[in-house]
Amino acid sequence: MKIDVKHTAELSRITLTPEELEKFTPQMETILESVSVLKDVNTDGVQPMKAHVKFNELREDVPQESLTQEEVLRNAKHKESGFVKVYGKVFGAIEES
Amino acid sequence: MEYDTIIGLEIHVQTKTKSKMFCTCPTGYFQKEPNSHVCPVCMALPGALPVPNKRAIELCMLMGLATNCTIANEIYFDRKHYFYPDLPKGYQISQYKNPICSNGSVTLPNGFEVKIERIHQEEDVAKSTHHSSTSETDYSLIDYNKSGVPLIEIVTKPCLRTAKDAKDFATQIRQIARYLNISDADMEKGQMRCEPNISIQEKGRWEEKDGMILPLGDYKLNPKVEVKNIGSITAVEKAIEFEVARLTKDLEEGKPLIQQTRGWNANKNVTEFQRSKETADDYRYMPEPDIPVIGVSNEDIERVKSELIELPHEKITRYMNDWDISQYAAEVISASRKDASYFENLQALLSEKLEHKIAAQEAANWLMGTVFALEGDKEIDMNDLSLLIMKFKEGKITKGKAEEMLKDCISNNKDISDELDMFEKSASDNAGNIQDIVKQVLDNNPKAVADYKGGKEATMGFLVGQVMQKTKGASNPNDVKNILIELLK
Repeated sequence: MKIDVKHTAELSRITLTPEELEKFTPQMETILESVSVLKDVNTDGVQPMKAHVKFNELREDVPQESLTQEEVLRNAKHKESGFVKVYGKVFGAIEES
Repeated sequence: MEYDTIIGLEIHVQTKTKSKMFCTCPTGYFQKEPNSHVCPVCMALPGALPVPNKRAIELCMLMGLATNCTIANEIYFDRKHYFYPDLPKGYQISQYKNPICSNGSVTLPNGFEVKIERIHQEEDVAKSTHHSSTSETDYSLIDYNKSGVPLIEIVTKPCLRTAKDAKDFATQIRQIARYLNISDADMEKGQMRCEPNISIQEKGRWEEKDGMILPLGDYKLNPKVEVKNIGSITAVEKAIEFEVARLTKDLEEGKPLIQQTRGWNANKNVTEFQRSKETADDYRYMPEPDIPVIGVSNEDIERVKSELIELPHEKITRYMNDWDISQYAAEVISASRKDASYFENLQALLSEKLEHKIAAQEAANWLMGTVFALEGDKEIDMNDLSLLIMKFKEGKITKGKAEEMLKDCISNNKDISDELDMFEKSASDNAGNIQDIVKQVLDNNPKAVADYKGGKEATMGFLVGQVMQKTKGASNPNDVKNILIELLK
């Protein structure tokens, strides 16, 4: 099974050296190979299993207290005036909503 | 060469819920401390599970019902993957193949029907600001308060042909959103965002089929451009006009066109290149395993439908047909739900005494002339206003005096019926000596009297005015006029 590791890495914004690319590609192919046994299972006539919930059972629109700013930022590696700080140029080829 | 313009619009609208789409954090983040409306779910901490907000989905359905969409009986959520700091999970929960609303339409004031392909539910992302610094590497500051706020995306088919229609469509969507309390839809605050897709194609060389633009014969379609960062309704029109001119010029000059995303620069009134889109987006959509399929019964849909009230374009037609209101007045009055309901209530109140068309026309005139001019922070009491309008219709008070009284009562907290009583009393007190006042006015204005007797009938207005001034407006101008005519015989 083939996988374009370079493309996948780019989508995840991970830079890989040519050596890493060469090392990871066969490893990932092996993983996909192992999973692909699922494709051999005959599922003709088997309905997909989906959990259902009724519309009325959904959460009502009632706000509750959030975490404090201090708690939110506790795990942030970098912060500045209440914001999470992220280094690097984040604009690139990947779409922003 | 002649070209057709082909436009499709994507409109994002933040819907007005109290809590976020998939967690219970409060939504009102505007001007709040950064990262103060955040919990493990909108921060994407490990193990956090999304729980859909019922009200948010109802508002999405309501927008669909208002735009003649079909509402799905099963709701599916999907993960749309992309990697960006404003999206802590690494994916946005959205809807891919099965949107909540599909196949709708909206009719513009000029009669053009805009086809809506879909309206789906998703979540907003965090707000990031980008900074450059000489002392350190470039960085971004992230505020997750906006992350997870309910967002709906309205996608039209590529059926729009002019910038004006695109603008009118965006205006109508904004109006519907506000009317039905789905959203405040303030573009400057980012509660509504419009992204047009634009291309120009040679006339007669393409066709539209099932919402797709297809080439005819050996024609090769020109690539499309997407414009982002549009911060107002007028900018929708301007940005499209700019793009059409730019694309046409490039084609005429033989420059190759590329598929790209451009950003609107509102200061310079131009679009600027952001990035090219050589490859199709690769979002690796997959079903969201953390949210079950949501079953929607027809009763659920009917319940949401009961929130659907008469929309502005329907009101305009009714006002014009039933009450002979001018199109201009009907449009102005129906533009906001508040004004429309004030107008309709005032019309009903006046209809108790006046014929219904006359009641509507008086209501419209007074609303547009007086109420809009006087209304500040305080709403004008409708009973007071109708009392004044009736006195005016009976010829007991002039419009100018009525407005003056209204203004005085609003700013000095006076009771309008007391004021009217006092006014009418002084009017009847004056009635006794009005003859004397008229005589006095005639004595003081021999030239006007001579002019009138010489055939200048317009002088009558001046004389009436003089008498009104002396009685401080507390007499009926028609009575004054009759007395004058009598005395001048």
